[in-house]
Amino acid sequence: MSFFGMNVAGSALAAFQQAANTTADDIANVNTPGASRQVVNLSEAAPIVGSPGYAAWSGPGTKGDGVVVDSITRIHQNSYDGLFRGASAGQSYFDVEQQQLQGVQAAFAEPSAGVNAAFSGLQKAFTQLASTPSNDQAGGQAARAGVINAAQTFVNVLNSVGSAIATAKATVSQNAAGVVTQANTLIDKIATLNGQIRASRAIGDNPNTYLDQRDLAIDQLSKLLATQTSVQPNGSTLVTVGGRALVNDTQAYHLAAPVVGTDSAGNPALVIGVQGDPNPANPVPVPLGSGQLAAYVDVYNGKLTPYGQQLDNFANATADEINRITTAGYDQNGNAGVTLLGSAVAGQPVSATNISVGISNPAQIPVGLASTAAGTLTVGMNAANLTVSTSSAIQGNASLAHPGAAGPTTGALTVTVDNVAQTFNYDFGPAGNAASVDSFVSSFNAAQLGVTASFDHVSQKIVFTRDPNNISLAHRAAQPGGATPDFTIADSNGAAGGSQGTPSSSILEILGAAALTGVPQNASNAFGAGDNSNANAAIKVFSKSVGVPALQTTTPTAIGGAGAVTVAPPAGNPAAFARIGVGQVLTIGAGTANQENVVVTAVNRTTGTISFSATLAHPANSAIASAPAQTLGTYYGGLVGQLGLDTQTAITGNTAQGKLATNIDQVRQGIDGINLDEETQNLVKYQNSYQAAARTLNVLDSLLQTTLGLIR
Amino acid sequence: MRIATSMIYAQQTSAIDDQQALYAQIGQQLSTGKQLNDPSDDPTRIGQDLQLHTALDTTAQQANNVQSAVSELTTTDSALSSLTSVLQSARQLAVQGASQGLTDDQRSALANQLDELVRQSIAIGNTQYGGKYVFAGTASTPTAPVQQQGSPITGVSFSGNEQVQGQLIYNNQQFALSTTFQAAFNYASADGSPDVFQTLISLRDTLANKLAVDRSAQPINAGGKLVYGPAAGAAPPPTTLGAAGVFATPAVADSSGNYSLQIHGSVGGVSSVQTITVTPGTALDDGTAAGLVGQINAVSGSTGVTAQFDPKAQRLVLKGTGSFYVSDVPSPGATNAGNLTSVLGLAPQADFVQNLSTQIGDVDHVLNTALNARSTIGARIQTLGAIGDQIQTTLTDNKKMESGIEDVDVAAAVSKFSQTQTALQAAYSTTNRLESKTLFDYLS
Repeated sequence: MSFFGMNVAGSALAAFQQAANTTADDIANVNTPGASRQVVNLSEAAPIVGSPGYAAWSGPGTKGDGVVVDSITRIHQNSYDGLFRGASAGQSYFDVEQQQLQGVQAAFAEPSAGVNAAFSGLQKAFTQLASTPSNDQAGGQAARAGVINAAQTFVNVLNSVGSAIATAKATVSQNAAGVVTQANTLIDKIATLNGQIRASRAIGDNPNTYLDQRDLAIDQLSKLLATQTSVQPNGSTLVTVGGRALVNDTQAYHLAAPVVGTDSAGNPALVIGVQGDPNPANPVPVPLGSGQLAAYVDVYNGKLTPYGQQLDNFANATADEINRITTAGYDQNGNAGVTLLGSAVAGQPVSATNISVGISNPAQIPVGLASTAAGTLTVGMNAANLTVSTSSAIQGNASLAHPGAAGPTTGALTVTVDNVAQTFNYDFGPAGNAASVDSFVSSFNAAQLGVTASFDHVSQKIVFTRDPNNISLAHRAAQPGGATPDFTIADSNGAAGGSQGTPSSSILEILGAAALTGVPQNASNAFGAGDNSNANAAIKVFSKSVGVPALQTTTPTAIGGAGAVTVAPPAGNPAAFARIGVGQVLTIGAGTANQENVVVTAVNRTTGTISFSATLAHPANSAIASAPAQTLGTYYGGLVGQLGLDTQTAITGNTAQGKLATNIDQVRQGIDGINLDEETQNLVKYQNSYQAAARTLNVLDSLLQTTLGLIR
Repeated sequence: MRIATSMIYAQQTSAIDDQQALYAQIGQQLSTGKQLNDPSDDPTRIGQDLQLHTALDTTAQQANNVQSAVSELTTTDSALSSLTSVLQSARQLAVQGASQGLTDDQRSALANQLDELVRQSIAIGNTQYGGKYVFAGTASTPTAPVQQQGSPITGVSFSGNEQVQGQLIYNNQQFALSTTFQAAFNYASADGSPDVFQTLISLRDTLANKLAVDRSAQPINAGGKLVYGPAAGAAPPPTTLGAAGVFATPAVADSSGNYSLQIHGSVGGVSSVQTITVTPGTALDDGTAAGLVGQINAVSGSTGVTAQFDPKAQRLVLKGTGSFYVSDVPSPGATNAGNLTSVLGLAPQADFVQNLSTQIGDVDHVLNTALNARSTIGARIQTLGAIGDQIQTTLTDNKKMESGIEDVDVAAAVSKFSQTQTALQAAYSTTNRLESKTLFDYLS
């Protein structure tokens, strides 16, 4: 009994020492990520009952045997982990999106110095050219060079933005590969920790540090992808992403490095699968949900790829429209115009990174258009000394050199432009579409044949002019190659000839243009160097509605009527639908009674086919064209607007999710985090307790000394 | 509430980060003067903003185009003003020349002045603006488009075309910017009336040579019909005098079935009367000596009268070096006269003074043409002025709209800037104070 008290005090010393040590550990880990505070759970030692000599003890009560350290446990609330990890995955997702999209936004350099400014510059250069089209004029040479320079700037900016998008895609793919490595390391670490925790638990231990480390590893993994975690009875965890196991107990399942495979429609897409997928070149994608990896995949597939496609579409459609104008004109030397915006790599379609300026010599900038006015093919349509009233009836009109005959009053003009022959059926009878010169001019122009008719009242002549803007979708679809500057008009009714006043059934003869039937109108009939009609035609391109992406082709097979149809590209052009995506609006059967707009519902990149629902029947070789929905400028504006919106969403998402994650972490840390002041108090408490126990030992010792002092 | 020590630091850091980001953002807005620096700053309006940029760029260029068009039209206008003065001078000279009291020398002095006026009008036809010939249409003309022919000048050649120059496009509407050579100088007119140069040259010749001219008073064809001269290419054969329904006044043959015309002229003071008789199958003018015109010219050695058919104007022109007379007479063997002078619309007598008054009429006609062209140009200058004003308004409006989207509200931004500055300072000082407080300081 003599040393009993000392033993009690000793147990206190040991316990407080342990407690102080634990506090010291907490303080040491105050800045360690993932560290939970640990507490020492003390309890009274079991009383000494039933020991020899104490069996018959009967006194005031059982006597305590001091203090024991029951356990050292970590304070941790698992329930907050899931919440925190969800928010943290969200934040990481938007963080990556923000970083990447802000980079892309910087490359676009809008609104001050990007493609739009260069595009405006091109428009401005054509406007300048329209003012001084002639080389003879002061500034004429400069205006032509200005168009080339503006085109060069436009091409350079497109190239630079296009390359920036391509570079961003490569970077994203690279970063994603890095993140996959990081994720695989964490997955391994979690699996290893699971093993350690399970072993520790099996022998009844409290693996506080391992638990902290595993939670931290899962926290870190959650930044990379959206994990779900469940703790199993043996203490190990099952970590899954979108239902697929990443860690099951000590088994780790690795992610495969990202590859550019294809999505369900056959479009190239960045895909992250698991290692061991039977098709590593195009594995089944892991549903990443959120986190950095999902962001990289989304930036690649959902942002950069469509931006790049839209920029390519814009470049392609702009080149298509501008070239249509320049190739329809004649240059200063009377040569047929060439393309202003061509592809840098021959044979490849024009895109943002594959576009170059095709004209380097200012004299080659087309200015003139073929016309019947400059030549001698047409004569005044009036009878001598009479002035034609263009609103009067043609039939029997004595003021015409050749009045319209009593019959037949119908015929057909075959207008051949761009190697496409189109027919204009005329009827100069009382209710016909050509009853007067005015109605002939307006109905001929409304037919969109690529040639515009006008009446020159000074010389009393009808003038036919090549008009690259006055062309129907059907005409464009039927066009085998690029535009051509020359044209012919042939009349089905032959000229009556004879003296003035002889009635005629040939509308060309009635209009004083009998001599031009079937005769090619070419550079010799261009307006001349001072003509700005081609520049004006180019200016109009910028303000008219166009179909983007540029598509003008025909169906190889008939469309049978209402219902879903799949259309293959025409035989000679297997890549016709390469730029068409789901949701694109197409015009089918342009220029026919059954013309309708349809929305593409599916594309198949392997077969090159597109699917949509038509409501009307269309014969084989019907025109298919992108529906003209907006101007080129609006299309590009839409792309920049989308980029801005995506970036803004990422910025606000990052802020909101960041705040959410911080708030949840604050609550979580409020429970399990280490507070220095608290630990200081604990330390003081344990120090004082230790001192008290030590003093108690001292007193007990002096009690013993007193007893021992009795022995002399 | 319990709080982890590391959270205190994290919270402060994040607070400072947030404030700094805001501070930098407002700083950028203030230094650039723009609140729209990136598409993400206002994605809903960036599309509109880009279009405004384009509109501002191109509208400014259009304003320049209009400005230059107005200058060009002003040049054309002053050219036409000079032309009007030339024609008015010509008219005065013609009136002066008609005076009976003038000597031949005085008239030839007037003719010399008219020759000068011809040269002046050619110079006006070659007026340039910025190296471009304003009346040359759209043709490429490295040399002056109007060139004199012959010496003394007998006519002009024109190498331009009749296309209106430099159409201006504004809001998809086209505006013509120049007049044509035909509209200004009545060159190759649809009704066959003489142009400025022909008018001045024939006036000069009339004064110099005391020419008498007898020209059909009206076109000789019936409405909707045409009298054809010498056949060229695929043109119909020459019209014969007996052709039915072609002449406005149908020819009536005399009792022998022929048509006759008597010309009473003189050469070098020697008078001569010549009767020309043709059969109904004879052409008015087939380009040979067989036609009526050819037969009149065959005797011009004694009558001094030459004939010419102008198919475009559908008129016959007889020119004599002095006064001459034209009449209907019976052909040999016939007892009655035909009506050939009525068919051809000829006056019975042609003399110098009457010729001058006809020519003054021609001068008046081209003067009217020039004045019409000038008023068209004047109206166009006004139209373009209005368009110029409209473009300026559009420019201002667009600038305002762009400013509304892009520019920062400086007052609001400055106030926010100082607010953020205060908040940032507070965050700094809070962090500073928090960091200095720990219970460890009190441990002994």
